[in-house]
Amino acid sequence: MEINVRGLKKYYQSEGKVIKALDGVDLTIEANKIFTLLGPSGCGKTTLLRCIVGLETPDEGEIRIGETIVWSKEKGLYVPPEKRELGMVFQTYAIWPHMNVFNNVAYPLQNMKLPKDEIADRVAKTLKFVQLEGFENRPSTRLSGGQQQRVALARALVAEPKVILFDEPLSNLDAKLREETRKELRVFLTELQITAVYVTHDRVEALALSDMIGVMNKGKIVELGTPRKIYFDADHRFVADFIGRSNLIPAKLLRQEKLHTIVETPIGEIACHKRTFEQDAELVLCLRPEFINTEKPSDEHTNRVTGIIRQMTFVGEVYEADVRIGDETVLVKLDPETTLVEGDELTLSMKPDHCLLVSR
Amino acid sequence: MEKRNARLTYSLIVIVSLLTVAPVIMLVIGSFSNNLNSFGNFTLKKYAAVYTDPMLIDILGDTAAFVLGSALFATVLAIFLAYLNNRTDIPFKFLFKIVSVMPMMIPHVLFAVSWALLLNPTNGILNMWLTRLFALPKAPFNIYTIPGMIVVEGLLDLPVAYLIISPAMGSFDATLEESSRVFKAGPLKTLFRITLPVLRPAIMASFILCVVRALASFAVPSVLGMPGRIYVLSTFIYRVVSMSLIADYGKAAAIGMSILVISISLIYVYRYYTRASDKFVTVSSRGFKPSVVELRKGRIPLFIIVLFISALLILLPVVVLFYTSLVPYVMVPGAKAFAAMSWDNWKTVIKDPISVRSLKNSLFLGIAGATVGSFLSVLVAYVIVKVKTKAAGVLESISFLSFSFPGIVIGIGFMWYFVRTPLYATIWALFFGYIATYLPYGIRPMTSAFIQIHGSLEESSLVCGASFTTTLRRIVLPLLVPGFVSAWILLATMFFRELSISVVLSRPGTETLAVQILRFSEDGQWGKLSALGLIMIFVSTAMVLAVNALGAYFKPGAVREKKRGGVKAGLKAAV
Repeated sequence: MEINVRGLKKYYQSEGKVIKALDGVDLTIEANKIFTLLGPSGCGKTTLLRCIVGLETPDEGEIRIGETIVWSKEKGLYVPPEKRELGMVFQTYAIWPHMNVFNNVAYPLQNMKLPKDEIADRVAKTLKFVQLEGFENRPSTRLSGGQQQRVALARALVAEPKVILFDEPLSNLDAKLREETRKELRVFLTELQITAVYVTHDRVEALALSDMIGVMNKGKIVELGTPRKIYFDADHRFVADFIGRSNLIPAKLLRQEKLHTIVETPIGEIACHKRTFEQDAELVLCLRPEFINTEKPSDEHTNRVTGIIRQMTFVGEVYEADVRIGDETVLVKLDPETTLVEGDELTLSMKPDHCLLVSR
Repeated sequence: MEKRNARLTYSLIVIVSLLTVAPVIMLVIGSFSNNLNSFGNFTLKKYAAVYTDPMLIDILGDTAAFVLGSALFATVLAIFLAYLNNRTDIPFKFLFKIVSVMPMMIPHVLFAVSWALLLNPTNGILNMWLTRLFALPKAPFNIYTIPGMIVVEGLLDLPVAYLIISPAMGSFDATLEESSRVFKAGPLKTLFRITLPVLRPAIMASFILCVVRALASFAVPSVLGMPGRIYVLSTFIYRVVSMSLIADYGKAAAIGMSILVISISLIYVYRYYTRASDKFVTVSSRGFKPSVVELRKGRIPLFIIVLFISALLILLPVVVLFYTSLVPYVMVPGAKAFAAMSWDNWKTVIKDPISVRSLKNSLFLGIAGATVGSFLSVLVAYVIVKVKTKAAGVLESISFLSFSFPGIVIGIGFMWYFVRTPLYATIWALFFGYIATYLPYGIRPMTSAFIQIHGSLEESSLVCGASFTTTLRRIVLPLLVPGFVSAWILLATMFFRELSISVVLSRPGTETLAVQILRFSEDGQWGKLSALGLIMIFVSTAMVLAVNALGAYFKPGAVREKKRGGVKAGLKAAV
């Protein structure tokens, strides 16, 4: 089912100041896609999710789930959460401590007043799906973090909702389990053909899981796009910066060529991914450390600059090196087995396609 | 250092055993003896007498109704108030604080008396007024009944129930309710299937503690039960020792043993539920704060109900007592009553030698008893928190032994005990009896104070070149002041108005205020009672305020923000 959000506003009063949690959000979430709301904490992503599910009331705007308007200021409509037929996985899982696994998962079905054997069937099926077969009678206070997460997922799926919402569901798991669960979740959701709205502040999670990402900042959706678009070809400086580590270097437009845009920067003249700007526009060049090559370049279109290694930090999989080029310092990644030492001269090369220009 | 600690631990074990274990042993032996003069001659006669007493069936029935009824009433009311305070947008939330510290202000016996003054069937003020207003054939209410006792005891136990339930309600993880809403349950269903079940351990803990307190309660059953010939177990004991020709302490001990067994088992269940409660109610650090329920139209009516309950708890007793202290006999407020008002009752009481003596006795017991009790508590708490040996564990269990003891029962134990010592019939019998019984209330605030003083605070002082005594003087003692003040206030107020041990141990010459008030109540001398009761409230409030001010003066800066929290924190710790 498609989700449609129009002109959504939600303001809070806090210590005499007005906080704009949602500042006019317009958004269409396509049916049967995994959509992620990504942004720093306090950007309004959780508020948006809670408005969609009905736990929070917006100040203005309209929310439509499928064909149904679930909230509208103008038309005075409000459908309470229990009537919106959604599934949700909470950040804290919200597993009810006084019930066992079966009753936790069966709860939505019990509220639909289904016959008992059908409930038992569907709970068993769902528990099998999340790989918790035979856990029915386990008290929920005796579940590990990963198991709680699965119970929460089973509970969200059991009533076969058309839309499922996730509020940072992996943030309470340890790093290793988080990675595994993320992969599984992707498999589950693809298999189910379900509209999923996922809220996170973790860019890797967002990139790995989503079909579509909406990056939020200060109560607004800044940019929408596929993970590859957001990562490689962001339109906004905020997005380029938030989605990964970036060297941000001020740049001035020199000329447009057939294949590239050429800019003047403190590290020299750089050929960039082609994009149109006004003449003399103040720009920012984004260079991701992972795309700065320190080996022999093979492509003749590659940009080349030379600098001196100021500092090297060993972080395990790589050396992170600060390379001084003129007055700029650029972060690059070096092979962990490198023979280079601090003070050495180093030539860096970048493919123009990985040199991203955004407006300042 | 270790040797000194061990010596301290063992001396404390001896002292505390003499205070708390000895009376229990004496009670047990006493229950198997014929009477005070034939101590130790084993007999089962007294148990037989108790269990074949024709009154027993009625007494047990009335006790069960009174105890369960008042515990239910207090708990339900506490859930209601805790919900309003923690989860809704009800205005003037400070009222709830008043409700929770109320028991420190008004002694239970006076609270019960004020209800008798209002609603007794012969000349209750409200009854007379209603009868006249609607020309009724007889008084519409009778407080000398089980329902009357339930309401009054329930209101008295409300703060305890509230102090258990409110924190659980406050730390409730709201996403548990939100998820229920998302999964197709409406608000009401969510309340009954999620909110209340998750709070079940806290609710059960509150209910059981209220049962224990009602079982131990003496003020309400004696002031409101006995005039209507309703006896519960605690007043049954009283009847056996002080209302028959020959006081039968053997039989009293045998009844006491039965109460003690029930009480101790209930405390055991209570501990189970408090542990379960900690496990159940999980606060999510990153989750949203509990959502505030908007009451909309219900906001003002509900607020008025809360206001009414607070008025019942605080204002009503004081107003009724003050009015009664001014009129010569019970009359309906009006022009006639106003014309008859005078300070006569006050003058009589101030000149009454027994009343004056009881005030002096209670003042001595309150101030001296609380001081000695607090110092003992400091030492015991020190051993419990800082000396973690097996012996320290033993000390902890024997110190908290009396927590589950009904006062009148332990009073009987002390009677068997002190009659064999020169303490018998002196003020010191009350002095030691009080300290023994209320020791847990002194120790709890002190242990929390000691836990706050992390070992590194002392160690860093030593490293900074301070000697052991300097460390004690400049670091440890200042940090102990708040805990000491709470312990002292708690003990002093409890001692000052103590009734249930005193009715057993007090003799002519060692009357206490509460006992004297009970006598006035039994004789129907309402005017004098009210005057003395108000003096009691004034003195005890003044005492609390003075010590609080003194404590604030000595309090180190770091702990100062917990202003005025002393009494409440202490009571909470004791719960």
